[in-house]
Amino acid sequence: MIKNYRLSTNILRFFIYLFLIVLLIVTLLPVWLLLVNATRSTLEIQQGISLLPSQYTLSNYKILLSRGLDLPRGFVNSLTIAVATTIITVYFSMLTAYGIVGYEFKGKKYLYNFILVLVMIPMQLSIIGFYQYMSRFGLTDNYLSLILPSVASAGAVFFFKQYLESIMIQDLIDAGRIDGASELGIFHRIMFPIAAPGAFTLGIFTFVAAWNNFFNAYILITSRQKYTLPMLVQTLRGDVYRHEYGAIYLGLAASVIPIIIIYFLFSRYIVNGISMGAVKE
Amino acid sequence: MVHNKTRRINHGYLFVAPFIIGFLLFGLYPVYNTLSLSFTDTTLMKADASFIGLKNFDRLFHDKTFVTAITNTWELWIMNFIPQIGIAMLLAVWFTDVRLKIKAGGIWRMLFYMPNLLMPAAIAALYFSLFSYYGPVNQFMVRSGFIPEAIDFLRNKEITRAIVVFIQWWMWYGQTTILLMAAMTSISISLYEAAVIDGAGSLKMFRYITLPLIKPVLIYVLVTSLVGGMQMFDIPMLLTDGRGSPANAILTNNIMMYMRFRSSQGHIGAASTIGVMVFIMTTFVALLIFYLLREKHDDFSGKKI
Repeated sequence: MIKNYRLSTNILRFFIYLFLIVLLIVTLLPVWLLLVNATRSTLEIQQGISLLPSQYTLSNYKILLSRGLDLPRGFVNSLTIAVATTIITVYFSMLTAYGIVGYEFKGKKYLYNFILVLVMIPMQLSIIGFYQYMSRFGLTDNYLSLILPSVASAGAVFFFKQYLESIMIQDLIDAGRIDGASELGIFHRIMFPIAAPGAFTLGIFTFVAAWNNFFNAYILITSRQKYTLPMLVQTLRGDVYRHEYGAIYLGLAASVIPIIIIYFLFSRYIVNGISMGAVKE
Repeated sequence: MVHNKTRRINHGYLFVAPFIIGFLLFGLYPVYNTLSLSFTDTTLMKADASFIGLKNFDRLFHDKTFVTAITNTWELWIMNFIPQIGIAMLLAVWFTDVRLKIKAGGIWRMLFYMPNLLMPAAIAALYFSLFSYYGPVNQFMVRSGFIPEAIDFLRNKEITRAIVVFIQWWMWYGQTTILLMAAMTSISISLYEAAVIDGAGSLKMFRYITLPLIKPVLIYVLVTSLVGGMQMFDIPMLLTDGRGSPANAILTNNIMMYMRFRSSQGHIGAASTIGVMVFIMTTFVALLIFYLLREKHDDFSGKKI
């Protein structure tokens, strides 16, 4: 009986591993092909599939440059927006969450429930009204219109509210008050260092989202030299690059490689962070 | 002491003030502005605009393209969500099963999650290249004899839709797996032990222990996926020509809104109308799901684990 049971478990286990391997290939193969093809010449790509890299990265890059695709500038543009968005989101969201967790004030419950609803509501669909409103201040085609809204990131506040509740040390805060620290000083010098791991986790997610953001930038930004990486990627679909497959793959690879590196460096934070907002203890 | 307390109460307001001001300026006002634009014939080309009441809405409801866009968006979302939750549930059960002891669970799920972080615009362009007429998929299929000659995948309505669904599934099943696993591992083992003593099989345990207890996370996954799905843009936009081709097969709400916005006249009044309709629809459905499932959830597991 027990032997039978063990045998069936082993058979089941075999099929599960088989399934996992197939799934892994399906998941990684497209990305691998992208990276490999970025190093191959257009001729090689047309001749057939290869899973091994070649040596045409530089010549592909030269083709991109010669067609006017300014990858370094796009890189700097995207980085600027992503870093600014990350800093603002992390700082102001934690400030808000600390206000909710650390203080009592009238309407606090309503504010928190309101934020919970905001997390669910698709604000992106008001982008047209946002565009017209920004154009009144001359802020279209300006990065400020992409960065400033992150002052009020409901999802990030929700995340920090959960997080701060689990790490809050009231005694330390009271000690700070006795030492005569200002309330904002307590937030900066006591709360922020304690909450650094959470801030880092949320920071990665914010950075990745800002880096990948296409829709808002595509609506708000118009001048070519301000294009972000996803917008440059979109221009790769144009006729100028027709049949320059190697160069196209390289342009695409350049926009995903930074994220892949970040992921392999910090996957522990990222994987744990995904469920932090959703699963209550 | 009383003085000190009031002072601290005021500090609470100060801490949340930037959020509230930011929300009013960048969250609420744009919603109001979109709403008021939707009642006008505003374009980007002329300075004056007039109030035209519900004309935009009326025109939209009689526009077959809008019906197509709404139907497409729902279909593309549902077709990816079902396999997404199915595969994620299987993986989560396997990875958390104490008896199966799947090795390196952390590494599997880390790799499965990776596509989620990659730039959707680049992913769409990548799949466009992979499935293009001279692309690797055709090369492989023809050379290994699966098909006699290359197929123009992205000119076929059904295949193009299938590719969009596949990409969405590919990007999201890993995240759903991680969320479901987190929910399952937080269930106390003693519940399962008690069930085994009572003679319950694994299917019964899944149905009567696991499923009810991961319900809050399932709701979270369902609602966030729905809200995201209704805004689907990057993938269908960049997979073909940016207009939902072939034959509007992958035209979504947001692509249609964008096309109105970037039309030669820049009809932002008409574009706003689409935004408002989708906003109302999404919010209504999201809150409905939230409300309906939440009520039931309280009935049979009101206590924390």
